[in-house]
Amino acid sequence: MRRLFLLGTALCAAAPLFAQSAVPPPSQTAQGDVAVTIYNNDRALVEDKRMLNLPAGRSRQEFRDVSAQIQPETVTLNGRGVGIVEQNFDFDLLTPAALMQNAVGQEVTLVRVNPATGAEVRERARVLAANGGVVLQIGDRIEVLRDDGLPARVIFDQVPASLRARPTLSVTVQSDSGGARPVTLTYLTPGLGWAADYVALFDEANGRMDVQGWVTLTNNSGTPYVNASTLLVAGAVGQANPYQQRYYGGGYPPPPPPPPPPPGRVIDRAGTETAGRERLGDFYLYPLPERTTIADKQTKQVSFLDVHNTPAVRAYEFRNGWLSTSDQPLSVNTVLRFSSSRNQGLGDALPAGTVRVYQRDARGNPQFVGEHAIGHTPMGSDIGLATGQAFDIKVRPVVEERTRLGNNRWRTKMRYTLTNASPKPITVDLVQAGLWGDTRITDESAKSERLSADEARWHVPVPANGEAAVTATFDSRY
Amino acid sequence: MMSAAAGAQTIVSSPGPERVAVTVYRNPDRGLEPLNLEWLGGYALVSETRRVRIPAGESELRFEGVTSGIVPQSAIVTGLGGAVLEKNRDARLLSPGSLLDASLGERLTLRRTDKATGKVRVQDAIVRATLDGVAVQTADGIEALRCTGVPETLIAAEVPQGLSAKPTLSVRVRSPQPVERDITLSYITNNFDWQANYVAELSPAGDRISLFAWLTLANGDQTALADAETQAVAGKLNRQRVWVPPGEAKPITISCWPQGTTSDIPEDKLVQLLAREEIQVTGSSLSAMAPPPAPPPTPERGGGDMMAQEEKLGDVRLYRIPEQVTVAGKSQKQVMLLKRPAVEVESVYRLRPPPSEYDAALERVLVTRNDSGKGLGLPLPAGGVALFGRQEGRRVLIGEGRVDDHTIGEKVEIRLGEAPGIRAKQIVAYSAAGNEQQLIVTNDAPEPRTVEIELPLDARGVQGAKLVKRDGAMLWRVRVAANGSAELRYRLPR
Repeated sequence: MRRLFLLGTALCAAAPLFAQSAVPPPSQTAQGDVAVTIYNNDRALVEDKRMLNLPAGRSRQEFRDVSAQIQPETVTLNGRGVGIVEQNFDFDLLTPAALMQNAVGQEVTLVRVNPATGAEVRERARVLAANGGVVLQIGDRIEVLRDDGLPARVIFDQVPASLRARPTLSVTVQSDSGGARPVTLTYLTPGLGWAADYVALFDEANGRMDVQGWVTLTNNSGTPYVNASTLLVAGAVGQANPYQQRYYGGGYPPPPPPPPPPPGRVIDRAGTETAGRERLGDFYLYPLPERTTIADKQTKQVSFLDVHNTPAVRAYEFRNGWLSTSDQPLSVNTVLRFSSSRNQGLGDALPAGTVRVYQRDARGNPQFVGEHAIGHTPMGSDIGLATGQAFDIKVRPVVEERTRLGNNRWRTKMRYTLTNASPKPITVDLVQAGLWGDTRITDESAKSERLSADEARWHVPVPANGEAAVTATFDSRY
Repeated sequence: MMSAAAGAQTIVSSPGPERVAVTVYRNPDRGLEPLNLEWLGGYALVSETRRVRIPAGESELRFEGVTSGIVPQSAIVTGLGGAVLEKNRDARLLSPGSLLDASLGERLTLRRTDKATGKVRVQDAIVRATLDGVAVQTADGIEALRCTGVPETLIAAEVPQGLSAKPTLSVRVRSPQPVERDITLSYITNNFDWQANYVAELSPAGDRISLFAWLTLANGDQTALADAETQAVAGKLNRQRVWVPPGEAKPITISCWPQGTTSDIPEDKLVQLLAREEIQVTGSSLSAMAPPPAPPPTPERGGGDMMAQEEKLGDVRLYRIPEQVTVAGKSQKQVMLLKRPAVEVESVYRLRPPPSEYDAALERVLVTRNDSGKGLGLPLPAGGVALFGRQEGRRVLIGEGRVDDHTIGEKVEIRLGEAPGIRAKQIVAYSAAGNEQQLIVTNDAPEPRTVEIELPLDARGVQGAKLVKRDGAMLWRVRVAANGSAELRYRLPR
């Protein structure tokens, strides 16, 4: 009760001052009709259509609620009958130290508080200097502020116009006529990025899978974008100076999200089909279906893909390094193969992101069985995701013999033992890598396929609960 | 506009799950290292069934009580169908700094308390700057907060919108009519891990072990999962580390003009404080790297044991705890994973000698095959092994080792560490034709020991020594007599 009463009186006293203050309530954003275009590489284009009440002639307009990480040199302002005189980005921040620096040569009010009685003494003081301490002139005395450590409040009469609470973009415009009109503010900002997240529920028995795709966008730009029309571009536009980073939010800048990991060998064959999506040059566009508010420090997910019963198969791969031998059997990679083709596939281009694969357990509950990153994948591609290692299917590579045939010539005999402890027959793609140069296979127990100068591959069928072996002799320089 | 948009939608909170299921996955990068409770690199899939009531129109459904290690990108909400417009995770946290930041330009109450008299004075103040020191505007003029020597603080009437205590996961839904139904929220969360812990007891003859294993799972998260259907997945799954923006919690920055500080801490003391903080940080990371190892579990006998049930899940194995259990926050839990009363094993002492002169003890390895003929024949998830023996009725620890994942039919080798009494000494005579190596193995035990010496592929035995090829190495296998020795001579090409 008492507090309320006090508050009331204080309010009455302060009323005239607040009436003059030009600070609008912060719960209302100054943003107008906002459109945000977000790229994959932590970059966004913001277009903000605001209604401005411009007087005829020259006036200076401040733009609040722009990104805290705005790249001010990329700002453009457009409006009918509005000419630009100059654009400024002011980052002279309102801080106690700046207040004191700006008060040098001016008078301030000093309120001294008696520590024993609490009695207050008010004095006017002139600030002479603020260098490593504040030197004041009070009447005919020269004093150092708070040199005695006693409480003393310093009250400044005003805030210098050049000091701002936040870095502020201002544009001086020349207007034909007075009145309200729409103007469009456009700028680039880091701090906004997006990736895709896929949920794949794999039905191994039927060789089918359901895939849901979500776009995940993150806002670390320091500013919310209110009721924004949002467009995501699947691609990374070139950045002239990618290492330049600005942050005016105070404190340390937030770390940019790490770039998506290298997708590895995911696309077996790149597709050549055009997806039924909007395109901008080489990039696919993913507009969000509705306007939405992208809050600061928010991760937002919106569905963009929902495909049922697309064919998918499980495959096994093992890649052995040159002269690699193992006394323990090594698990083969388990690979989920599917297509992004219109025909028998997901029927869409896939923006870069992470695919999480689930399978149902014996009780029918989906369980996580591994994940893998994919890059931007054109429609019609054949995709193979290594989601993990198979518990039951193993390969033991062994160097059986290594004979020197002469200067820089070696004969190497390899034996690969493949075991399958599962109750169904499978086929393993066995790859021997490191064959670069003029390495030849002089003898092999099954026909191999030379994938490249570096790699040879065998398709090895392994019976259920059984074993298979491949032997090969290599003639190499090393 | 923001308030208008936010005002139009109702906020519905779901305080916690009705039922929860958790599946724990091993840290794929941990290898055979033991569990580190301070730094669990594994993860878990949490599936929660929640009863929610959604009003007609647009609303925001907030999920409370999710783990703090949640990977928000992986969250799946099923049961609401097409009503879900978007999923959000907000990490703007309520903190002293964010409270002031959000109040920039707003009217708060400034409270000053007189140190001498205790008299409290309040007045209205507008927050004018918060970035580097706080400036407020009062009826008197502009002042810097806490630069005066007078105890003073700012008081807000309410929490600004969009600030919460923890990062919040929510969905924005739109429904033509009010609905009440069970939905499922599932997500991947970090800071869980598990492994098997084998306890083996060697028979007096040394040819058999009774094998028992714990399923040891650990939750490093603060959140407890009560009465959870609990599973663990054995096998190595690929993991894609994604960056989860941490919640932002800022303190209030107070900064004044030179010498204007009200703080009673002189500058040099501040530096000390900062330095101490740094030391603490280093200390915690040190302890995170080298935790105390988990104590070896001891098996319990008798009564009705609860044993995890194994099933195949794709290419990996799932172990299901048959009853609901509570996986408490910051805790480790163990249930029985498997039991095999008599497994036939062979003890061999193994060495891979370097080509140079050498003198050291051999490693003891227990060898068996994972099939029913040997008394095993079931998938063995990776984990630690403690081998016990009996000495006059007392259990004694003989050795500790680790095993990787083993499927049925595979050879299983448990390395138990050095056996000090079985030693090898190698003497090398260098010559143009190749190095003549002489290796002498000695046995101080009153029983014979089986020794396996693995040599490079190009090693050749001399003076009648028989080497056989095995697993890409030349093997000399010999039975060293009780309290005896054996000698091998071989040649390595230059």
